[in-house]
Order: sequence, then C-alpha cells, then structure tokens
Amino acid sequence: MRSLNYVQRVSLDFTGTLFPHAICLADADNDSLNELVVGDTSGKLLVYKNDDSKPWITRTCVGMLTCVAVGDVCNKGKNFVVAVGAEGWFHLFDLTATAASKAESSSQHEFFSSEDQKPFFTQHIPANTKVILISDIDGDGRCELVVGYTDRVVRAFRWEEPSDGSDAGSGQLVLLKKWLLEGQVDSLSVNPGPEGLPELMVSQPGCGYAILLCSWTQQDSSGSGDDAPATPGSEGPSRDIVLHLTTGRIHNKNVSTHLIGSISKGSKEESSKCGLFALCTLDGTLKLMDSSEQLLWSVQVDHQLFALQKLDVTGDGREEVVACAWDGQTYIIDHNRTVVRFQFDENVNAFCAGQYTCKEGKNSPCLVYVSFNHKIYIYWKVELERMESTNLLRVLEEKPDFKSHLRVLGVDAEDSAAVRALVADILYKDGPT
Amino acid sequence: MLRESYPFVEDSFSRFPSQSNIYGLCQAGEQELLAATLKGKVVCFRYQELQQKVRPVAKEVQFTYIPVDAEIVSIDAFNKSPPKRGLVVGITFIKDSGDKATPFLNIYCDYEPGSEFNLESIAQSCLNLELQFTPFQLYHTEVQCADGGSETVFLLSGHDQRIHLYHENASLHQFEEQPVERLFPELQQLPSNVLWLDMLSIAGGRRLSAFGCQNGCLGLALVNQTGPEVLQSWRVQFDSPISTVLLFPLRCQTECNQPGGEKSVEAEGYNLLVTSTIEMAVIYRDVQERGLSWSTCLSESDQWDAVLCALVIDLDFDGQKEVLLGTYGQELLCYKFQPAGSRRDGQFQLQWRRSFKSPLLSIIYLDLTGDGLRELAVLTLKGLHILQSYQHRSSGPRAARPEGVGADRRLRAGISQSSEGRGERRPSSETGLHDSGAIKLTEIWQFASTCTPRWLRLFQVFVLIKGAM
Repeated sequence: MRSLNYVQRVSLDFTGTLFPHAICLADADNDSLNELVVGDTSGKLLVYKNDDSKPWITRTCVGMLTCVAVGDVCNKGKNFVVAVGAEGWFHLFDLTATAASKAESSSQHEFFSSEDQKPFFTQHIPANTKVILISDIDGDGRCELVVGYTDRVVRAFRWEEPSDGSDAGSGQLVLLKKWLLEGQVDSLSVNPGPEGLPELMVSQPGCGYAILLCSWTQQDSSGSGDDAPATPGSEGPSRDIVLHLTTGRIHNKNVSTHLIGSISKGSKEESSKCGLFALCTLDGTLKLMDSSEQLLWSVQVDHQLFALQKLDVTGDGREEVVACAWDGQTYIIDHNRTVVRFQFDENVNAFCAGQYTCKEGKNSPCLVYVSFNHKIYIYWKVELERMESTNLLRVLEEKPDFKSHLRVLGVDAEDSAAVRALVADILYKDGPT
Repeated sequence: MLRESYPFVEDSFSRFPSQSNIYGLCQAGEQELLAATLKGKVVCFRYQELQQKVRPVAKEVQFTYIPVDAEIVSIDAFNKSPPKRGLVVGITFIKDSGDKATPFLNIYCDYEPGSEFNLESIAQSCLNLELQFTPFQLYHTEVQCADGGSETVFLLSGHDQRIHLYHENASLHQFEEQPVERLFPELQQLPSNVLWLDMLSIAGGRRLSAFGCQNGCLGLALVNQTGPEVLQSWRVQFDSPISTVLLFPLRCQTECNQPGGEKSVEAEGYNLLVTSTIEMAVIYRDVQERGLSWSTCLSESDQWDAVLCALVIDLDFDGQKEVLLGTYGQELLCYKFQPAGSRRDGQFQLQWRRSFKSPLLSIIYLDLTGDGLRELAVLTLKGLHILQSYQHRSSGPRAARPEGVGADRRLRAGISQSSEGRGERRPSSETGLHDSGAIKLTEIWQFASTCTPRWLRLFQVFVLIKGAM
C-alpha cells in the first residue's frame, strides 16, 4: 500500500471542542472561494478564511452546536450558513453582506452593523440534532434541509416564505417528513439513483444504509400542504424506508457506519445516473458501491474509521474516497481501489476534506484535521499527479513522439535497458555520447 | 526564493518501526536501498513491478547473527570491484547484554555462484567480527592494488581515534582487518574520532581524502595512489563537531576573452563541502589546487538546526550541480552555484527548501524505478521518503522555458566537445545561460537546428522527458 507524507499545512487556532459534524468547507460568503466553517460546543460559530490562524468571523449561537452546513437553504440563489444546536436551535447566517464593503447603505447594513452579530434567522426545531444536509432530495431543483437526530429520527424541512413576502426574514422552516430508523444515523447523503433522480441515503449500523423515500412527491400536493408534519405512525415508516444491508465481513452489526454519496465519476452525464457512494465502518471496512447496489470494491483496514469524505486529489474530475481514523491514519482510495495512505501524527477530533482557499487565492483540495490540542491543521497541498507509483518510461511510452524519436536514434523501444541507458545519458551524462 | 518551486514530489513514504541514524542508509545493488533501524531491523526498499503496476516495497531483510538486543550503528554496501563479482553488506552494531556492551562488525557476502547479488542469501552468510571500539561511519572505497587491479575495501571509523580497514582475503573467502597506514597513509594519527569520511579519485592516479572529526578538526589530503604517498595535506579547526564532508567536482563556466575568438571554457575543480553541527556549511573551492584556503559559506544553512546530511547532484538537468543539505530542523535545502561575472568565483545561493515531518538523516540519489531517471531517497527519523522529479507546469508558453535552459547547455557542451559546432555559435553570456529569464524556446530551436541531427533528436527526447516529469 502506497503511503506518503503531506507537509504543507497551516494551523488555525481553535480553543473549543466540537462535534464531528460541526465542520465544513464551503463558500460561506458567496465570493466563489471556500471558507472553513466550524461550530463549537459553546455555541460559537467560527469562519476561517485563507491561511489566517484567527477566525475571519465569529458568531454566537444558542446552545451547543452539533452541526454546521453551508448551502442555498432558502432557495434564493445564494449560500447561507446554517448552524444547528443540540437543543434544537436552528440559526441561519447571511455572510455575504459581511464580505461586501462596509459603505453599503442598505437596510442589511444596519442590520449587521451591531457588533454582536445576530443570526439572520432562528427557529426552534426538535432537539437532539446530530447531522444535517442541505441538498435537493426530491428532485424538484430546490434545496431541502435534512436533519438527522440522535434518537434515530430523520426529518426533512423546506424553507417557505409567504408569497407576498418582501422581507427576507419572514420565511420559516416547514417540516416535510419524519422517518424513524432502526439504527443510529451517522451520515446523510444524496446520491443519484439508477433513474437519475436523487435519493436520500442515510447510513445504518453494520455497514448498512437506508434510502428514505420522499413520499410527498407521490402524494397530491394539496394533501401535504396542510398536515405537513405527517406523523410516521399513520404512514407506517417501513414503506418509506428501504433498508439495505451490504454483504461481507461484518464483525459487529452495530458498528458505527458512515456514508457519502454523489461521488463524481469524471463526467457530468456519467455521475448523474447510478451515482457512486462509499461506506466506511469504525471497524475498518470501506466499500464503494453504485446505486444499483453493485459493489465496486471493498477494502479492509485495521484502523478505526470515523469520517468519510470525497475529494478529487488527482485533478482528473473523478473524486477519490477519503476516510480518516481516530489515530490520524487517512486513506485516499480511487475508483480502481488504488490506495494512498497518509498518517496525520495526532489523534483526530474531527476531519473533513474538500476545496478550500488557503493560499494563492484559489480553491485547492485540502484535508482538514481538528486536533485535541486547540489547533486545526489544514493540509493545502494534497494534490497528487497520480494515485499509483510510476516510472518515466511508462509516462514516455504514452507519448507518440517518443517512439519515433527512438527509432531515429536507433534505439529499440522494446529494449527497456537501452531506453533506460538513453534516458540516463541524456539526463546525467556530462559530455556527449 | 520561491518556496514551492522544488522539483520533487513525494512518491512514497515507508514508516520504520524504530528510528535510524545518519549512518543508516545505503545503496545495495542497482535499484535497492538498505536502511538500518536502531532496534536491529534492516529494511530493503525497492520498486516492484507487479501486475503491470509499479509498487514501492519496503521489506525487512533477516540478516543473520544480529541478536535481538542489538542496536545497529551503521550500514554500508558495495559491489566488489571487477573482475570479482558480488554484493558485500557491512553492518555494525552494539550488542548490549546488560553488563557490558560489545560492538560488532558483520560482513555479509555470498560466494555461491549465481547468488552473489541475491540479498536473501547474502543475508544468510555472515562474517562476524568483534570490535574493540565503538563504531561510527562504515565507508567503502576503491583502492589500487599492487598488481594493478583494484579492490573495494571497508573503512570503519571508531571512537579510538582511528580508522580501521577491512579487506577481503580472496583465498580464504573472508574479510580481515589490515593496518590502514599501508593503503591510506593519510588516515594515521588522527586528531579525534572521525565522524565522517569521504574520498574521491581524481585525475592522474591521485585521490582526495577528507575527514571530519568530533572535535571539529577537518582534514584533507591529496594522495598519490601509487605508493601510496601523501602529496599534500591540510587541517582546519571548526568550533563544533563535523557532521559530513563531501568531495565533489564542479564545472564552472569561465570566459576567456582571447583575441582569436570568444570561447567558453569549462573548468572543473574539486570542491569540499563541510557541514558542522552549529556552524554554517562551508564549501572549500578548488581544493586540489588551493587546499583549504578558498572557502565560501552557504548562507542560512545554520537556520534549521544542525545539517546532518549532504548531497551534490544535478537535479534540474542543466549540467550544473546543486548542493542539497538535510537538517535536523526538518528542512531539505537546495543551493545552486551562481557565477559572478566571468570568473570562477561566485556564490552558492539558497534556491528552495522543502519541509519534512521529521529530522533528515541521510539522502541518496539513485535510480530506484529502473527508468534511467533517478529518485531522491531521504531517510528521516521516522522512515524513508522517496521523491520523484517533478516539473511544475505553469500555464502558458513560458512553461517550456526550463527545459530549454538545460538542453541548451547540454547541447552546447555536446557540440563543443564533439567539435562539430560551427563558427557562428554564440558565447553563452549572450544567450544568457545563467539568466534563465532571457532564454526563449525559439532561440533554442534555432540553436538546435544548427546541431547535428543526433543532438537535435536527443534534445527532442530531452524535452519529452522533461514534459513527462
């Protein structure tokens, strides 16, 4: 197994503690460059920008933040920052105005002028939140908010505003559906189904997953409009939850499992149907599957994997699966099951991977580790030329000119010893041959 | 200085079970490395082709007669000088059985025809020598024998202020210690324990020997190999222990403004790089002519703790060698010679540096993948890093520039030496050989078109190779 070291990193100051899902990389202020958003257990929301070790923005929320996310949750065409506390307080922040110039004389400016910056919107939703997702889960082109709870419940919300609503703050979250699952939900994700429609997937213990059906799309819209908080009892949860258990070596069927979907296959057309998703378990199983339940590969490692992300480290448009263990061992695996390992030298409190603008003013793939000693480390140069080791001859063989040059030079392209000698001569010989 | 412009990308990292030291890495054979770790384990690193894939493989080699409680000090390996065949591996270690620590030198070498280069079988045939001193660096060098042939011998420095010589007794199929003075008269009556030793054969059947001592003494000798006879020797005192000494040739472009026509002359001089634990690294220039009188410092080389290892290689393929220093402060530093004016003096300037995750102990440049292109192997406290050459691709037409500079120089060298060049060749100062910004690819193509077809073709292959990195 190939292993290597990343060394280019920046360290950010972070004095609090956090939940594993209270971290994300996304464009929080709509400047097309990604920021790092972190929520801590004391209710502070921190946004880091570039390689600055101090947070760019700090906001105070109510309660203990368990999850943060960035997305167009209001369907206004711009990103908002969402921070949800364990007690059920949902906070919505609009950081676009913060990034804009202070000279702006709009009403928003007044709104944000006070030093103690209030959220743009707050609402109380059911408590014991654990994980959130902002994505289009029903294929209507609009984003929904999905919240996973510690009591094995998943709820989907939609932001709705009165039709005459001119004031931006007049909207609110409306519950679409509640699902009750058999096991703990550690991750929420969306993956294109075999027909190309998005499917909401949640992880289930023992390397399993469940697809949650958005029943409101089948129902008459008039029916769901009024009694939006549909009680699961009346519907019968089993019909809307399709549980899948993957086969293979599962030591413990209660083992914590993570999942990530919509792993890019390189081209948009390919990725949009029969999407790829990955699963990992705390006992070290990693799987890549597609939505037709076909297993692409399975890897067994001896580290406790607690976080699963996707990241295109090779720059070929195909996203690799990135899994991190508590002890810092990180696996990057491509679609062909080629593994690259990296050992982060500390225990990891939380991990995420994605695009972040650290240096050079542009997004680059980054690995983010939250340590236990008040630091967040961002490895900002994690790109790899290729996943596998190679040598120069293999690379040269792919170049059509190379063979013709060799022929003229009178070197047999099949004779690797002669080609090797030629390369060595050209590169290292002081004089001419 | 561009910090990110180093031309390497890490291909693999092998973590070792225990730490190593500055004597812990050696090349064994063509494409393999041996790394020794403190707790008695020796790891063989190589690239393996398996199922059409190139894989880095770090495998422990079970060298026999290394007890479990042994701590390895140094390792070295060499191929026997022809006509003899075979790989010889030497390992020094200290066996600490509680009351008394006993040092040993184990020499591994297989005489069975067919398995002289098989590491697994070499590791099983051991010659065990108990030492009367604590060993330091294990070094090998080729010496001229009285009968005109040559032989490679081990030189082992010890804490008894002496260097010990081990050579092969061919008739007995074993190695034995010999007085060092007979073959190396420059290595007698040393001022202190030698921490690092280096030798270089130079023209005229002569040899340069350099050693750096624990008390800061640096010794250099010019020796006539036939005899052998010390022609000249120099000593200089440093303020701190010397970590490495390294002899290397350096070509310098010199302009001789002769009335008959401008001509660029390359002069080769031998230089000595000396790193010490607290002072800046120093390069003594032209040592065969001027001894230790002409020195130049590598500025900032003392900024990242002690320099523990050094290497001089041409890593950007422009024909000019660069100096690499590995520091305990986890940095790899690259210095390049910047000529000043038309004379041979100039400065070594820091070009780039690269951070590692742990202190650097040893560096070797060798072709591990078997493609003609060499890899840089860096031994750190935690393991072995393999770095491959990588050309940073910048977008736009200027991306082609770096390969032009190197190829231009190489082509020029080729033409001037093969005496097929033409009169209209411009001197290097005009094309701005060292001012890379001034060179344009079109210019080089023009230049290349005046070359012989073979050189043109080689140039094209060179461009391809650089593009492939």
